[in-house]
Amino acid sequence: MKQWKIFLVVFALLDLTVGCSAKRDVIVPPPESRNPVIASPTNRDLIVLLPDPDGKVGTIRVTTKGGSQTLDKPGHATQVEHVNEPSTDPKPLGEREITSVFGAALSAQPDLKARFVSFVLLFDRDTTNLTHDSKKMLPEVVRTIRNRKPSEVYVTGHTDRVGAADYNLTLSSRRADTVRDFLVSTGVTSSALVVSFHGESMPLVHTEDEVAEPRNRRVEVIVR
Amino acid sequence: MNRSKSSKLFVALATIFILHNVIGETVHAGASPAVGTVQKMSGPASIVRQGQTISASVGQEIFENDILQTGRDGSMGVVFSDETLLSLGPESVLVVDQYVFAPRQGKFSIVLKMLRGTAAYLSGLISKLTPESAHFETPSASIGIRGTHFVVKVEEK
Repeated sequence: MKQWKIFLVVFALLDLTVGCSAKRDVIVPPPESRNPVIASPTNRDLIVLLPDPDGKVGTIRVTTKGGSQTLDKPGHATQVEHVNEPSTDPKPLGEREITSVFGAALSAQPDLKARFVSFVLLFDRDTTNLTHDSKKMLPEVVRTIRNRKPSEVYVTGHTDRVGAADYNLTLSSRRADTVRDFLVSTGVTSSALVVSFHGESMPLVHTEDEVAEPRNRRVEVIVR
Repeated sequence: MNRSKSSKLFVALATIFILHNVIGETVHAGASPAVGTVQKMSGPASIVRQGQTISASVGQEIFENDILQTGRDGSMGVVFSDETLLSLGPESVLVVDQYVFAPRQGKFSIVLKMLRGTAAYLSGLISKLTPESAHFETPSASIGIRGTHFVVKVEEK
């Protein structure tokens, strides 16, 4: 504690003499909040969301003791300046800056050649019937499984949030079974399949309860 | 095969067997399997396992609780068994705090703790199958991952 007090006094003096001019990297909280916890300088973290190699963009949620911040646009960055505050609002970071800070880490990234492939098959509302477009994807799914032999195939069922959670758990299980049965009928050995289901608990698109969301009525097939 | 030859063979095999077990135990006590392998590296890079520092090499296995570290101009890229790709830039330290990938038992967990430096993360099957079981932590923040690719820098004060 004593050390902190000395530290704070030094900070206060610096603040008085230097003012706020060139000391941008020293975080000086407003006077009323100067207690050791808030004034504690944190490790400054910088987090940047990048597009996946296939061009899709996921989501990351950065949580500190002070709150959360969601990044969902490629090249957007957030900075943690204080443990007790949420990280900064997402802002785009230039490609040159990303390369200059993260170039070495990115070039050490292992090669991607044989990484898993995933498909999202959608269903009509409250049924185990694939949508018209998703039916058209099936040959591609089967071809991918054959080309990767011996492959592992993960089949995972989901629903949207319309209806009771218990009912949706069963519906997601039936959807997963429908896809499993189809794959087995095309000659995929059942020992290669890992089937699971999550009802409405793992939406692809977040919604409130009882909201119909076609993108969440799905079975994800991951082939590796 | 005559008697002396076969007994020599037996002794040789027994020695290999015992050595293999003893080394296996000391290198990694307990039966937990490797969770990943080093696939790329350059410059100074090492793994701290149970208090011992081992210099990293391509093909080397990674276990839960290993600490991965790189020196000045060092870098290291690791592939985990669920195809999560993790790479570190220079002067970085990261702990493989938890890792479980047992899809047939429905058990998944990946928790990486970054203490210093820069890292790139591309999520694998764990965050695809159960997003809530994938976490990347820094000393001041926790990053929840919904199937994606990101980079992190942690500055040490």
